[in-house]
Amino acid sequence: MTVAETMVRMGEYAASAAAGDILVSLGLGSCIGVALLDRRAAVAGLAHVVLPAAEGRDGGAGKFADTAVRALVDELCALGARRSGLEAVLVGGASMFSFGGSSGMEVGLRNDAAVRAELERMRIPIAAAETGGSRGRTVKVAVDGARVTARAAGDADVELFPGTKGAA
Amino acid sequence: MSPYLSELQLDALRELANIGSGTASTALSSLLARPVDISVATARALPFADAVDAVGPAERLVTAVAIGVSGELDATVLLLLEPEDAAVLYALLGLHPADVLAPSALGEVGNILGTSYVNALSAMTGLRLEPEPPQTANDMLAAIVASVLAGRAGGAELALVLDADLAVDGEDCTMAFMLVPSQEGVHELLSRLGLEG
Repeated sequence: MTVAETMVRMGEYAASAAAGDILVSLGLGSCIGVALLDRRAAVAGLAHVVLPAAEGRDGGAGKFADTAVRALVDELCALGARRSGLEAVLVGGASMFSFGGSSGMEVGLRNDAAVRAELERMRIPIAAAETGGSRGRTVKVAVDGARVTARAAGDADVELFPGTKGAA
Repeated sequence: MSPYLSELQLDALRELANIGSGTASTALSSLLARPVDISVATARALPFADAVDAVGPAERLVTAVAIGVSGELDATVLLLLEPEDAAVLYALLGLHPADVLAPSALGEVGNILGTSYVNALSAMTGLRLEPEPPQTANDMLAAIVASVLAGRAGGAELALVLDADLAVDGEDCTMAFMLVPSQEGVHELLSRLGLEG
């Protein structure tokens, strides 16, 4: 098995059914890494969401919570995932700075809420989440074993999924 | 070439950044009572992911001071230092990095530099600009820069970043100085320079 890391940068998303693939988003601040996994089909994906809603803007599907989740689900299903088998893991959505903006609420918090709302709309359960707070994080999604790990700045990797429940 | 800003427009923005960072370096120099060198400023309009990559390694731990700007222009001024550079700066200020006063002292340095930069921008463009209190963070470089970009220019397709490096003469102490305007802010700056459209 050859191991290959794919960087999923701001506003991008990627999916894979190759056992050796690891999808990575480095240094998530207010952005959210949305990992979607189908353990039985052994398919995994990661979206690096920047803002809560497209609101008609054209910045690429991966940039906004609503469009990114839908686009990633489509891509996963095309690789053989079943929509009913998908589980989500969320990482990021920190509030590193607060500026007196017009929004009244932090981008990180709004991203978190928007991603959760879209997942609920699509009936995808959230298996684990490491969101909020004030620290940046890196997320890694290994297709093999559907493993998701996260680490905060200067810390070690923490396994978020499959976690204590074990693989199905 | 940028698809939404011409070379002429980028040149004018770069010149603004040169004058702004020049003013900030003078402030740093009088604060530390020693000469400060500045690099030539760069002005880049890049897709978000490329803008974050261009700043440096994503997971590098840095110390950041962010100063929000409101008024007739929404923007963020960001001062970035690596931990070693911050330690030298603390020593120049007569502080130990572990000193309880260190973070607020760094915030104050960022405040003085950021305010000088913003005042220079204001004088050049005639825009009424109000700097907000400084906020400090120690975190991954990408997390800091991406959060500022998302907060300021999130709706735009490209992020405009104006940056320059300041180096304290004779000391191993360099810091990066960045201005990230909102999408409307970019157009406001250009229109004041007579280069809009």
